[in-house]
Amino acid sequence: MASFTPYAYIQCPCVDSVPGSRSPDGASTPTSHSSPEDDERDFDPRSPRSNYSLYPIEYMLYCEDCHTVRCERCVTEEVVTLYCPSCLFEVGNSSVKTEGNRCTRSCFQCPICIGPLSVQSLESTPAAPEPSLLSADHATATGPAGPWILCCSYCNWNSSEIGVKFDKPQGIFAQLSKLRSGYDNHHSRYTSSGDGDTYPTKRDADGEPGSTKARFASLKSFYQTQMSNENPNSGLGSTMDYGYGSPGALSRIMSLYSGNTLSSAKPKSKPTIMREADTTKEGLFPAKLDDTSVMSGLRSAGYDGTATRAQVNVQVEEGARFATDLWPIPYVLRTKRTKRCPSCRHILSKPEAKVSNTRWRMRLIAGNYIPSITIKPLIPVGAPGGPTTHLLTPVKPVQYLLTFKNPIFETIKVTLATPAVTPGRFASKVTLLCPQFQIGANSDDYNLDEVLKDRDKDPQRKRSDTTGQQVEAGKEWDSGRNWVSVVVEVVPSSIQIEPKPTILKKLGEVDDLGPLREDEDIVEIPIFVHLEWEASADQVTGKDREDKETKEKKELAYWCALGIGRISPE
Amino acid sequence: MSSSNKRQSVLPKVPSGPKAPVNFGSHVTIADSAILTGSHTINISSESVIHPRARLESTYGRITIGRRCIVHERTHVGAPSSDDKRGDFGVLTEDYVVVEVGSIIESGNTTIGEGCHIGPRVTIGKGAKLGKHCTITAKSIIQPGEVVPDYTVVYSNGLRRTDKRGLEILKAKAQARQIEILRRLISSNPAKFKD
Ligand SMILES: [Zn+2]
Ligand SMILES: [Zn+2]
Ligand SMILES: [Zn+2]
Ligand SMILES: [Zn+2]
Repeated sequence: MASFTPYAYIQCPCVDSVPGSRSPDGASTPTSHSSPEDDERDFDPRSPRSNYSLYPIEYMLYCEDCHTVRCERCVTEEVVTLYCPSCLFEVGNSSVKTEGNRCTRSCFQCPICIGPLSVQSLESTPAAPEPSLLSADHATATGPAGPWILCCSYCNWNSSEIGVKFDKPQGIFAQLSKLRSGYDNHHSRYTSSGDGDTYPTKRDADGEPGSTKARFASLKSFYQTQMSNENPNSGLGSTMDYGYGSPGALSRIMSLYSGNTLSSAKPKSKPTIMREADTTKEGLFPAKLDDTSVMSGLRSAGYDGTATRAQVNVQVEEGARFATDLWPIPYVLRTKRTKRCPSCRHILSKPEAKVSNTRWRMRLIAGNYIPSITIKPLIPVGAPGGPTTHLLTPVKPVQYLLTFKNPIFETIKVTLATPAVTPGRFASKVTLLCPQFQIGANSDDYNLDEVLKDRDKDPQRKRSDTTGQQVEAGKEWDSGRNWVSVVVEVVPSSIQIEPKPTILKKLGEVDDLGPLREDEDIVEIPIFVHLEWEASADQVTGKDREDKETKEKKELAYWCALGIGRISPE
Repeated sequence: MSSSNKRQSVLPKVPSGPKAPVNFGSHVTIADSAILTGSHTINISSESVIHPRARLESTYGRITIGRRCIVHERTHVGAPSSDDKRGDFGVLTEDYVVVEVGSIIESGNTTIGEGCHIGPRVTIGKGAKLGKHCTITAKSIIQPGEVVPDYTVVYSNGLRRTDKRGLEILKAKAQARQIEILRRLISSNPAKFKD
């Protein structure tokens, strides 16, 4: 609890592209309303919308063409491969359309605990256990024989509990769906204990629309005939085109609004009333209003015999109420996806198509393009002269080191900006001691000896940190080959909830005296990072090929949210 | 710790306490580095297997291990409980019980029924009574004094259900086969524990 890991989240520019009208309260999110030219835009990491645009740098991708970061929310995705997470078998696009998004081989999850199920032979009960010791019999030498069941090795559930056994150990999905359609038709639910026959035989499902699938099919065909009967000439009866834009629907709406005069003038346009499905043949499924069987089921099975909400939710078909209604769950397929930039459509990330290959063909991660930010206290906790707890003491200034590390082969000029106080109810004062600096290039032609010397020098410097070195405004604290550390000073606010002095209040301002909200005691600094560097033109693809010699100036700016620490409650 | 331990443990030495009076059945397999301490009797019935570094403690009451039981490494059978009241006996496990790695069974009239499977790092509280053929999955906790009915499966942070597989006979057979193999793998030294 006491420990807090400082964090740096980057705001994706997609926050601006969202229409402002979607924001629940416009006042607190000025970014959504202000014009793009407005330089005074402010950023509140605490506003509800910020949750959706702040990401750690590891989560972000970078578009080389747009020169900006992209988050997982704004990239467009394309499915490369569909596969089963259990058997890692690749599933074709077409079969997903016909068979659905579940594995159709023998991969199932336990309906009780979602553990993986395995196919096991249900050996016929052997003779009484051997009384003599160590005479382990070798009955298995003949090879396991059917019937087969699905077993969970974690919670010990097995499919014979719902009366499901298989003839073959292969093709369980097909066998199960056959059994299931037979079960739904003929198995008298909730009273199964009485009739003894809990081993459903394979019966064909074509006769009655029992299963959800069959019911849907009959409903669909029923309504399609209704559509075509109603509007035989419009040419849209047979197709699925009956949206609001279709001419038939439009004329019907017009006649509704224009009132009786028009419709009496044109009596033909009066719509015939569509009939609803009213027989089971047409797909009607009458609700079971007679609960006596359910109640007797409850009485005999007890609480343990009922299905939990969570178990019902992961079932493929709805309507399960008892543990005996829970069927093995075929694994939902997973996907591998290509990610594209939302504006220029360039590929940002592309996995290998093969399921077993976990590598990427292409992956432009933001960490390779923009500096990373790490935060740590200038004087570590527990060090002499340093703080004794991880919590920040109100009104006592603390200094933090922000270290920027440059991943690219060019020198980057960094300009930082923060508001003087953090937004929110508890405004902490923030001072950046060195808002402007340069980070050296991450070139690969450095002298190894120098780097090593640099590293040797480091511990000495660290030691002098606590004793001597003074924090100077406008000066970097420390720097190396491709990194720079700067100091930020924070004066944490007190998190006592008390009314503001009247003198400081704006006109009409009302005190917010609600209790401390979740994470409101964290000092979170919005910081605006502006980067400027010169890219050699040949790095820029395509257009600027002619002037190869010239260097092109690049810039990139974004907001970050730096989580510094928690304020102690007293 | 026994002197035959080649590798020096980095943990501080556990005070092993007095050597417990023991009573072994026939064909008991007990590793040299198992720890049997306490003042009360430790009974281990025939064909049971005690793995290396298993700890059976009879300080707080008699320990009885049934026939064809397997007690795995770093288990602690007969561990002290939070309250000091002692029972008539410490721990009683019936036949065909498996106590997996790192489990703790507290002492004080604690009974483990026949064919129970105690998963890894389970804690069985003092005075708990497990029925026959229960399965306690990894890291579950059975509260002191709790009575667990026959064929109960305790899983997923304490959820319970009834095992309806009816595989007790098969399981017992498999356990007999496993013990047969373990006898060959574990160098047994029952004489060390008898005086
Ligand atoms: Zn985005
Ligand atoms: Zn599969
Ligand atoms: Zn399960
Ligand atoms: Zn782009």
